[in-house]
Amino acid sequence: MTNWLSPAEWDALSLSLTVAFWATLLSLPPGIAVALALARGRFFGRQVLNGLVHLPLILPPVVTGYVLLILFGRRGPVGSLLEDWFGIVLAFRWTGAVLAAAVMAFPLMVRAIRLAIEAVDPKLEQAASTLGANRLWTFTFVTLPLILPGIIAGAILAFAKAMGEFGATITFVSNIPGETQTLPSAIYAFLQVPGGDASAARLALVSVTVAIVALAVSEVVASRVARKIAGR
Amino acid sequence: MQRVGRRVIAVLAAVTLSLVALPQRAAAKDGIVVFAAASLKNALDDITAAWSEKTGHKVAVSFAGSSKLARQIQQGAPADIFISANVAWMDVLAKDKLIEQTTRRDLLKNRIVLIAHGKVAKPVYIRGGLDLAGLLGDGRLAMAMVDSVPAGIYGKAALTSLGLWDAVRPKVAQADNVRAALALVARGEAPYGIVYATDAAASDNVTVVGTFPAETHPPIVYPAAVIAESGQETVARNFLDFLSSDTARDAFEQQGFTVIEPAMAN
Repeated sequence: MTNWLSPAEWDALSLSLTVAFWATLLSLPPGIAVALALARGRFFGRQVLNGLVHLPLILPPVVTGYVLLILFGRRGPVGSLLEDWFGIVLAFRWTGAVLAAAVMAFPLMVRAIRLAIEAVDPKLEQAASTLGANRLWTFTFVTLPLILPGIIAGAILAFAKAMGEFGATITFVSNIPGETQTLPSAIYAFLQVPGGDASAARLALVSVTVAIVALAVSEVVASRVARKIAGR
Repeated sequence: MQRVGRRVIAVLAAVTLSLVALPQRAAAKDGIVVFAAASLKNALDDITAAWSEKTGHKVAVSFAGSSKLARQIQQGAPADIFISANVAWMDVLAKDKLIEQTTRRDLLKNRIVLIAHGKVAKPVYIRGGLDLAGLLGDGRLAMAMVDSVPAGIYGKAALTSLGLWDAVRPKVAQADNVRAALALVARGEAPYGIVYATDAAASDNVTVVGTFPAETHPPIVYPAAVIAESGQETVARNFLDFLSSDTARDAFEQQGFTVIEPAMAN
């Protein structure tokens, strides 16, 4: 099994999985919060927030990566702050790759969760509050279980997007084997080396396999959760 | 509601059909497409403008790492001329019979240098015992991709022959092409980088702190050739000849390239 992929290829695969996992996990709380705000909130600037959230979806990924470089690079306003105060360095580190993947995947996650929230029957929540529940209780025990399939779908979508993220990653954290060379970066690099076609093809196959497995798992989990909520 | 639906479909169909009927763009009848190494950007922008004005033909140039361009040509990209930053990639295309052998010529020479961020920087004596890893500290050395892009290949060769590669390798940040590496150093994201001498001249925010001795790497030669599949061979040959003219020579030398004298006609 270990002979299927060379060490460099294994590095790329495990890095991609790590980056995608953390990107998804870390964007879940803000993703749910923003989806709630967009679905239910009635505040000034709601459309601006909506536009901002969707920006990474519309802009060329290289532009998003460049903006991240300007803001979060070692010389950037946020990046230098993070480094001075918390010792967190994002430029040229896998943590930067996580940020790039999270930013690119965020709009997809928010859209999926927002759809789920909008599908919740508000009468259920109203019923809970007439029975004396405060908003936090209602959210945790009524809304959240109802939107769980949507959250899972959003998370899987974000994970898949994070696995495939390339343009913003290579622009922000460049291509460092073992540190920021994710699966797409590795495929890109192999394609440019004479005779690298075989490695590129192997890695492409791995990407497809991971995607199919992720999709299958998400379908199973989502339908199990949906069944449980419907009481069956 | 049905009427609205039909109207929408009618408008969409009209728009789609009109897009299909639009005249073809970049592949203009008498224009050519040039694939050129990223490091040639400043010089070629001037040269193509001069040639266009002189001959009235249009030129579209795609600048990227030579490796990427060569792979695209292998996959059938519609280029008329290829100017590579190393001989190896041109040889790959020659082996695949993708270039017009008779048009191939060596155009330019270049040097690779160590650059530092900033308008002034401390010179570095590039030699075998140099503690480059120490100089970098926790910063990165920005280079083009070391396995494929010529600037990266030359840089790695030079560092290897000086015995510095193993120490420096974990600190290298590989960028997509040499200009991207230059940008990283210009922005200050990477304290040092290895680029062509001509690239260093193109940016105000970097300083050359050392030049790699020519014997530490293969000679940096830029070959150019007309692509075999080109539908514009005459115009392309015209452009290739123009690259050896005085106007072009001035533009190249202004950027810091060394122009190779064309071989006497055989």
